[in-house]
Formats: sequence, structure tokens, C-alpha cells
Amino acid sequence: MSFEEKLEALEKIVKDLESGDVNLDDAIKKYSEAMKLAKECNDKIKNAEKLVSKVLKENDTLEDFKVEE
Amino acid sequence: MNNDKYLTVLELTKIIKMKFDNSTFFNKVYIKGEISNFKRQFPSNHCYFTIKDSNSRISAIMFNFNSSKLGFEPKDGDNVFVTGKISVYEATGNYQIYVEEMNTDGEGELYKKYLELKKELEKEGLFELSNKKEIPKFPKKIGIVTASTGAAIKDILNTIERRYKLCETILFPCLVQGKDAYKDIVKQIKKANEYDLDVLIVGRGGGSIEDLWPFNEKEVAYAIYNSKIPIISAVGHQIDFTIADFVADLRAATPTAAAELATPNIEDILLSIDNNINNINKNISNKILNIKNILKSINESYILKNPLKVYEIKKEKVNSITKDIINYISSIIISKKNDVLLLSNSYILKNPNIIYEKKYDKLLNLINKTEILNPLNSLKRGYSILKINNKSINTVKKIKEKDIIDITLHDGIVNANVINIKEDL
Repeated sequence: MSFEEKLEALEKIVKDLESGDVNLDDAIKKYSEAMKLAKECNDKIKNAEKLVSKVLKENDTLEDFKVEE
Repeated sequence: MNNDKYLTVLELTKIIKMKFDNSTFFNKVYIKGEISNFKRQFPSNHCYFTIKDSNSRISAIMFNFNSSKLGFEPKDGDNVFVTGKISVYEATGNYQIYVEEMNTDGEGELYKKYLELKKELEKEGLFELSNKKEIPKFPKKIGIVTASTGAAIKDILNTIERRYKLCETILFPCLVQGKDAYKDIVKQIKKANEYDLDVLIVGRGGGSIEDLWPFNEKEVAYAIYNSKIPIISAVGHQIDFTIADFVADLRAATPTAAAELATPNIEDILLSIDNNINNINKNISNKILNIKNILKSINESYILKNPLKVYEIKKEKVNSITKDIINYISSIIISKKNDVLLLSNSYILKNPNIIYEKKYDKLLNLINKTEILNPLNSLKRGYSILKINNKSINTVKKIKEKDIIDITLHDGIVNANVINIKEDL
């Protein structure tokens, strides 16, 4: 699941639970799923240290790019 | 001497000034000419100069409010197009033009070209809203077409880094000003389309209309229009749109703004994750609380507190049914008993011989009747039976003379011939 899909899944769980049609067993299942999704998203955000920037060179290869100060 | 008809100079000047100010023509005039004697006054920043051509001249003033919006730094010798109003400066009695807008000769040409191209492309449908592609909310790869040096790329990358480090960027470096810049921009937009990008930022920092001109070229407009990747235009300028802005799927006023439009803010995402988790926690807690309450009310129910009561209720029911059954059966027994009693008291049962006696009398009677009907008894009494050909004859009409008749008596049969028949006795 992509980061975006995880965020959407999380949103959906909130909506499902708020709809009130979920029995307790399913609600608890969804709850642990939501906790897992939230943790994965938070981890991904925390672990993103630096923006990956590339530049396309004349010879059509990608190289790391850094702005000249 | 009557002085009344003489005006002061100021009075005259005021009247002349009023003539100018009340004229719709002088309130908005367009003139072209060359700048001379250009002076910018400090600190007010008002500009004073003369606009001239080979045959005439007019004084001009441009207040800071308007001159700060100039896209170029005017200097003597510039050919300019000027818009403003004509009025009189009372202190000197000079009429002059109060300049509101001023473009260089070249700028005017370019502007005309810009308007023509804009009209043409609009007609061809390049600006149609229905053709605009949606900018994805969570991009994985962002392409950037701009110069590899300068404020624009710096602003874009800093902004993306700050907002959304989860994505990757690829810079497609290009010239952003000069005569050939548009070719470079077109080439790199096409190049970018060979990569798997979610969004493409195309732009540069601010500048004069000449500087920004590559973004007003038809070729750039078509490259943007034909891009499969959604494009955010980011041409830094304040007053007008470039053609690129009209074609792009989304327009940003500056490179920084473009980077903001291209990315979600990680702080917002974290906040929304927190909010979602809070909502889920609250929801689950409520559910559990509800169920606890239900359990509690069940535990406190009368039956669970008095479990024997269930048994007692059942027992009562069994008892009552048993009682009903016994009552029912008893009532049946009693009614049958009555029937039996009634029967046993009946005359017949009490006198069973009666039946026998009645039957015997009937039999005797029958025997007697049979005895009387027996024809043999009549024969004994002297009667006889007459037959012809074994058929009983009871009338003389069936007998002819000379018939042979059989006469049965009680002790034998006589064959005889009929001699004579006489009707009537």
C-alpha cells in the first residue's frame, strides 16, 4: 500500500466507525488496523530525512542535485 | 479705475486648470514619444521628465504610486508609450501630463504580440478549463523545468523539502530568458514527459515582460498543452499573466507558491493522522462503554439476580398445566360415569329376560302363521291343487275339454281327462 493509500485507508476506517454500522468485533479489528496504518505513516514521515533531488544531465543521466548557494 | 474685471494670475490659472480637469478627453490621453531630462526625486521617488518628438514636447510627472509599478528603468532616449491625464500645475502655470502607465516602445510591441497570441490560442481551445488535468494530492515524483541556478529552483526545492520530503524531485534545467530560451523550455517539458512524474513545475523568478517573454511563446504554450503530466506554471510576476499561465493546469504566482501547490504539508498530514486516531479512539471507547453499560444492565436484571425465579416460574406453569389436565380428565370420567350409571339403571339391563321373552313370543307367532299358510294343511282339509303341464290352474278359463289335468291331493296325485267345463258354480 502506498503512503497515500494508507492515509486514505485510515480516513475510511474513521468514516466506517463513525457510521455506527460496525459491530464490536469488526470495530476492534479496524481499530488495530488503524493503529498499524498510523504507525506506518508516522514512521515513514519520521524516517524521511532529506529530500531526494536529481538533475537531468546533457547525456540524459540523472545525478544528485544540490542548489548552488 | 474699476479693478473688478481684473483676475489674479492664480484665479486665471485655476480657471484654465478647471477646463482641463473637466474635460473627458484630457482625463485619459495616450501619447508616444521619447524621454528626455529624466529625473527620479529622492526620497519621494516621483519621476520628472519630458516627453518629446522631433516637433514638440510636454512636461511629465509620474508619482511614486505609479512609477513603482514600472517594468523597466526609464532613461533618456527611451521611446515610450504613455497613458495619463493632462492638468495644470498652478505654481508654474504649466500644463503637463500626469503619467499613470508607461511602456517602452519594445514593450508595447511585445504586449501587442502577447494579446494577439493570447486571442489566437484561446480560440484554439488551449485555455479550456475542461482540458485541465488534476494535480495529484500526494506526488511521488515532481519534475521541475527551470534554470539550475537562481532563486526559483532554490525556492522550489526548499519549499518541497520543508513541506513534503517523502517525494523525489528531478530538475530539467533550461534557459529561462533570451531569444532561444523557449526552445530549451519546450525541449525539457518534452523530456520530462519521458519520466514517470506526477506533476511538473515550469517557471522562473520575476522579471520584466521581456525577461518573461519565453513563457509567452506559442511553442511553449503547445508544449504545456500537450504534456501528459499535469503542469503548474510558476512565472514570478505580479501584474499580468503569461501565456504559459493560461495553458497550465494550475497557475502559481511565484516558484514558492508552485511548490506549495504541488505538495501537501507534512505537518497537516501528521495532524490529520492524529485527528483520525483520536476519533477512532473516542469511537472505540464509546463502543466499549456502551457494551459495558449493556452488560451492567443485564447483570442487574431481576432474573439474573434471582436465578431460582426462573425455575419457580416454570414450576408454577407445570403445576397449573397439571391441574388443568387433571380437571379435564376428571370431568371426562365423571361424564362417562354418569352415562354408565344411566345405562345401568335402564329397564332392559335391569330386566334382561324381557328381551328373550319378547323374541320367543314373536317366534311362536311366526310358527303359527306359517302353519296356517302351509298349502298342505289345506289339502288335508279336502282342498286339492289342479295343474296342467305342471302349471297351477285357478280358473276354468284356462281349461279346455279333453285336457289332461294333474290333481294333487294331500296323499297323492290323480291324472284325469276333462270331460265337460261349466262356468259359474
